[in-house]
Amino acid sequence: MFRLMVTHAKKHPSLIPLFLIIGSGGVGAALYVMRLAIFNPDVCWDKKNNPEPWNKLAPNDQYKFYSVNVDYSKFKKDRPDF
Amino acid sequence: MANHSQLGFQDASSPIMEELVEFHDHALIVALAICSLVLYLLAHMLVEKLSSNAVDAQEVELIWTILPAIVLVLLALPSLQILYMMDEIDEPDLTLKAIGHQWYWSYEYTDFKDLSFDSYMIPTTDLPNGHFRLLEVDHRVVVPMESPIRVIITAGDVLHSWAVPTLGVKTDAIPGRLNQTSFITTRPGIFYGQCSEICGANHSYMPIVVESTPLPHFEAWSSLLSSS
Repeated sequence: MFRLMVTHAKKHPSLIPLFLIIGSGGVGAALYVMRLAIFNPDVCWDKKNNPEPWNKLAPNDQYKFYSVNVDYSKFKKDRPDF
Repeated sequence: MANHSQLGFQDASSPIMEELVEFHDHALIVALAICSLVLYLLAHMLVEKLSSNAVDAQEVELIWTILPAIVLVLLALPSLQILYMMDEIDEPDLTLKAIGHQWYWSYEYTDFKDLSFDSYMIPTTDLPNGHFRLLEVDHRVVVPMESPIRVIITAGDVLHSWAVPTLGVKTDAIPGRLNQTSFITTRPGIFYGQCSEICGANHSYMPIVVESTPLPHFEAWSSLLSSS
């Protein structure tokens, strides 16, 4: 499939931006889904050793992808450990 | 509140709504530019003779691939920034609970005192002169101005939605679930909204009125209401 893309791109160079943009969109989507699967606390892979990761949230971890104004690492942990 | 035949947004009374209005203006200009270009090309096609000399159009293909991609990025970046900004709730001064019922809202301020009340629409027959029809309520949601307020929204029976357009807030009230939203009022005033999820016969008759006042007035109101 990639060899065919290269052949087409050589014949019509104006296809290159299209391949780059769509390709980076696809790669970006795949990477974000991987990030969600691995780091999102709502996802449980290991039912035996880590059954409910959403119960282990810390106040100074940033769980969202992008933080505009809030610096989560500066939050103090003001609740007791159990 | 909106005037009759108002098409645009109400004036923003919170920083998030100001961001949303700016983004809307930005997106509207982009849309205007694209529509003007398309209209021009359309008119051009209608008045010019057609010729098919050009069969290979590498350069123009390049332009009309790169340019829309840039336009989309220019739309996506501010949009995502505002989206993430709306989710940030740090250190609110007050937490208030809004519970939707058929067909009224009830509010609880339980941070400092146990204050709760129901907020029914004032029927048109009882409306004093000069007040807004289908928008006024008997007990308003009073909040201190220029303070971050967190609102926890739920419902007691069916789906409702707590919306105040001028503050840029609209959050569904779902029975059995707590939804959180927040706002800061940039100025004192009275801000109106209406239930935004169909909930039965009187869905259009359960408005929301937020009254934003300086802190001493809010404290006086809160003492008055919680003592009675």
